[in-house]
Amino acid sequence: MASVTYNNVVKSFGDVEVIKNLNFSVEDKEFLVLVGPSGCGKTTALRMLAGLEEITSGDIQIGERVVNDVAPKDRDIAMVFQSYALYPHMSVYDNMAFGLKLRKTPKEEIKRRVDEAAAILDITHLLERKPRQLSGGQRQRVAVGRAIVREPKVFLFDEPLSNLDAKLRVQMRAEISKLHQRLQTTFIYVTHDQTEAMTMATRIAVMNKGILQQLDTPQVLYDSPANLFVAGFIGSPSMNFFPGKVVVSGGKVSVDMETFQVQVPDAFAAPYKNMDGKKVVFGIRPENIHDPEFAPVNIHGEKVTAKVDVTELMGNETFLYLVSGKNTFIARVDPRSKKRVGDEMQVIFDMDRFHIFDADTEEAVR
Amino acid sequence: MSNFSQNYERLRSSQKFQKQLSVTLRLIVAVFLIFFAVFPVLWIVSASLDSSQSLATQTLIPAKAGFQNYVRLFGLDPDYKFAGLDFKRWVFNSVKVSGISTILSLSITTMAAYAFSRMRFAGRVTMLKTILLLQVFPNLLALVAIYVLIFQAGEIIPAIGLNTHAGLILVYLGGSMGINIWLMKGYLDTIPRAIDESGMVDGASHFQIFWNLLLPLLRPILIVIGILSFIGTYGDFLLARILLTDADNYTVMVGLQLFTAGQFDQKWGVFAAGALLGALPIMIIYLALQDQIAGGLTTGAVKE
Repeated sequence: MASVTYNNVVKSFGDVEVIKNLNFSVEDKEFLVLVGPSGCGKTTALRMLAGLEEITSGDIQIGERVVNDVAPKDRDIAMVFQSYALYPHMSVYDNMAFGLKLRKTPKEEIKRRVDEAAAILDITHLLERKPRQLSGGQRQRVAVGRAIVREPKVFLFDEPLSNLDAKLRVQMRAEISKLHQRLQTTFIYVTHDQTEAMTMATRIAVMNKGILQQLDTPQVLYDSPANLFVAGFIGSPSMNFFPGKVVVSGGKVSVDMETFQVQVPDAFAAPYKNMDGKKVVFGIRPENIHDPEFAPVNIHGEKVTAKVDVTELMGNETFLYLVSGKNTFIARVDPRSKKRVGDEMQVIFDMDRFHIFDADTEEAVR
Repeated sequence: MSNFSQNYERLRSSQKFQKQLSVTLRLIVAVFLIFFAVFPVLWIVSASLDSSQSLATQTLIPAKAGFQNYVRLFGLDPDYKFAGLDFKRWVFNSVKVSGISTILSLSITTMAAYAFSRMRFAGRVTMLKTILLLQVFPNLLALVAIYVLIFQAGEIIPAIGLNTHAGLILVYLGGSMGINIWLMKGYLDTIPRAIDESGMVDGASHFQIFWNLLLPLLRPILIVIGILSFIGTYGDFLLARILLTDADNYTVMVGLQLFTAGQFDQKWGVFAAGALLGALPIMIIYLALQDQIAGGLTTGAVKE
């Protein structure tokens, strides 16, 4: 159990700087998810912590200790790899015991810990098997088990669920969350899947192009994204963006999207009052666009006319792909909505839940 | 006439007939090829049992069959004028030289390949290319140089000079190393690095990763390279002939040659017997490890 701190960490491969000045700390017992598109540097950040990648400059601390020059084995970490990286010629038991054997742990102690971990992960009946005789999900458990028996201070997960099928992934997600509660240890988890990040993390660090974009709890990230990238990355389907222009007239603020205009409720208008004529990106999440028939009451609704291009019926909800002039956007509406492809309709924008980003800096303005 | 063409048409379109025809054709080709492959072996077997000792008068079924050649080969016939030649010793020498050079070659190449595959150091690519380049020139070209090298080395360290097995082993090692390092490195490259990294995080040193995690996975390629290298050195004539001068130190290939040297020496049958027995160690190794060879040559080609 320990905190982890990145201080001005930079990583370059040759001339290419893949991580630019990374600064953040993970608190003890936290479940931090590093998320971002592929190539954003999240795996590299994790591998530097594991000691598998050298740090170009800056330093990484585990607890109070700077670990830059500490060998991976002496960092007191355990890692679960994307490919599981089980030792193919060893039985499940030996795979899990390998790290302990190297540390000259007494035999009885090894057996006790392996049996305990196997029981937690429900793989006791597989202990004698070789990795090739296991299914993907079982291999995944063994890989996690191998990390558990080591009782490390920090657990590292490198996209551990990306090789599993959708159903198993959901199941393992819950199990890893449970494991975190049970072990009460620091977890650092890398993924490109924002759903995994949202469902498991106590805090999420969103990265893009080697830069940390925002680090906060899932709900804050979802409700108040710091910039355009985070807004678009978190949430599925992702937030709708409309390029537009702020118009201030008579004390009222509205955003002009050329084909339509929405008025900002007075309660939120203050930050935009001196931005008249400024180019912005207006953002609104699909679930905040309503079919008028099912729109909640007491919202600051703004009517926008659009044409239904595609409908996706999910059963519990319906996605409407809408077109308004050159803007296309998605609304997540009530499944009872009777709107079908080709229909002209008026949708309601819930103006209590909108986002405005500076078109140049891409930072949120609020 | 129409009856004939109907029959012909029926045969031509009959699938059964076509199948039979194709099987027959294939059998003919197979028999022909097998004959070519087997005939020399049969001829040697026949010669080894034929006591006439003459290549010219030999027939496939010997007129006077017997084990006299084998008796002579092992020096059990006191009347035979070449009884002093020690066939058993040659086989022992061959197995010793091939065995030692195979084991040394495997351990050196595996470790070198590990370094080339897993570590990044200055000059790595250049060294790999140099090794490949050296491999392009056959040992044969360097024959004189090798002779001089071993001769002069022997002046300083007699243990690896001319007429020593150690010297011969060193030369074999140098010759086979390049291609084996490449083969081994190629195979190692197919083993995911994640396994090493997982071992590193688990607390293994480089040597422990190599020994406990990678070596067991290298078994197929180790066996293939081991067998190829053993057979290569066991069957070598040229280098052994040049570097070994004493009949007691000869390997089988060099020793047997003594039997074919003179024109009227009546040793052809003994040579045949020696050749057959000399092939036994190789045959035994092949039979014992044939499954592994087939597996080893293909595994690693495609990642599962």
